[in-house]
Amino acid sequence: MTADHQTRYIVLAPDSEITPDQLARNIHALGLDVVVKETCFGVVVSGKNDEVKRTVNEVRKLDPNRIFSKVRGFPVGDQRRCRAHKGSRPGFAQLEKEWKDLVLIEKGLQCAERGERPPECKRPSKMPVSDLAKICKEECR
Amino acid sequence: MKVLIVPPNSLILFDLVERFGHEPLSVMGALQERIENREIESPPMNITVDDVKKGLKYAGIEVPSGIRGRLAVYGPLIDQAEAAVIMEDAPFMFGCVGCARTNEMMKLLIRKRKIPILELDYPENEDEAKAMVAKLKAFLEGLK
Repeated sequence: MTADHQTRYIVLAPDSEITPDQLARNIHALGLDVVVKETCFGVVVSGKNDEVKRTVNEVRKLDPNRIFSKVRGFPVGDQRRCRAHKGSRPGFAQLEKEWKDLVLIEKGLQCAERGERPPECKRPSKMPVSDLAKICKEECR
Repeated sequence: MKVLIVPPNSLILFDLVERFGHEPLSVMGALQERIENREIESPPMNITVDDVKKGLKYAGIEVPSGIRGRLAVYGPLIDQAEAAVIMEDAPFMFGCVGCARTNEMMKLLIRKRKIPILELDYPENEDEAKAMVAKLKAFLEGLK
């Protein structure tokens, strides 16, 4: 690996109709000089920066709002990081959580694409310290 | 523009920032350089003694070395950032980015830079996701 190379995750949203296998086949069909590894959530692609970027751009056209990507620090199959050698992978917990949220993000992207006005959302705010102090005093009585 | 994302390894933020035409600054990018140039045997502890020293630029000597080590990676990203997107209420608090004190320190350093910052929450339902994406899109388009 050199500075002009990069590795990328291409992640399919849980409700995508494309399978990781189809995704990998599509990338192979592009005929670009990249290494592709199929995973349970999508694929990992490694190669020269411009070829990886082209791959991501091409693949995204298949299902724009349900295909997501991010850079990965380690190259494909790196022994220092590979699950086969090291056991469960640190960082996967977050990837898994965000993968589940992609269903929601897809809805957000669709809404933005249609130019719809997003609904107003307000979460309940945190309790002010003065209110908490009042409750504590009442409890102490 | 270079946009720093917090959590620094977020898939959602990395993708959306790139999708809306900016360069995301992430911890994966920072680590990729280290992984290529140095022999580090035990990831995710991807730091060296030098990193802990470099972290002194961002945190005092009394700060634990784990925080300084992390800040040695995050610090240069904060310095480069021209804008930042912070997503709060991340339900994970373990793994490489699971150090709450480092995350607090990182947010403080970002705020001190006086760059445009957007603070969001992880969406819990469709309506929140729609509002979140709309806010992010408006913020990123406004940066151009």
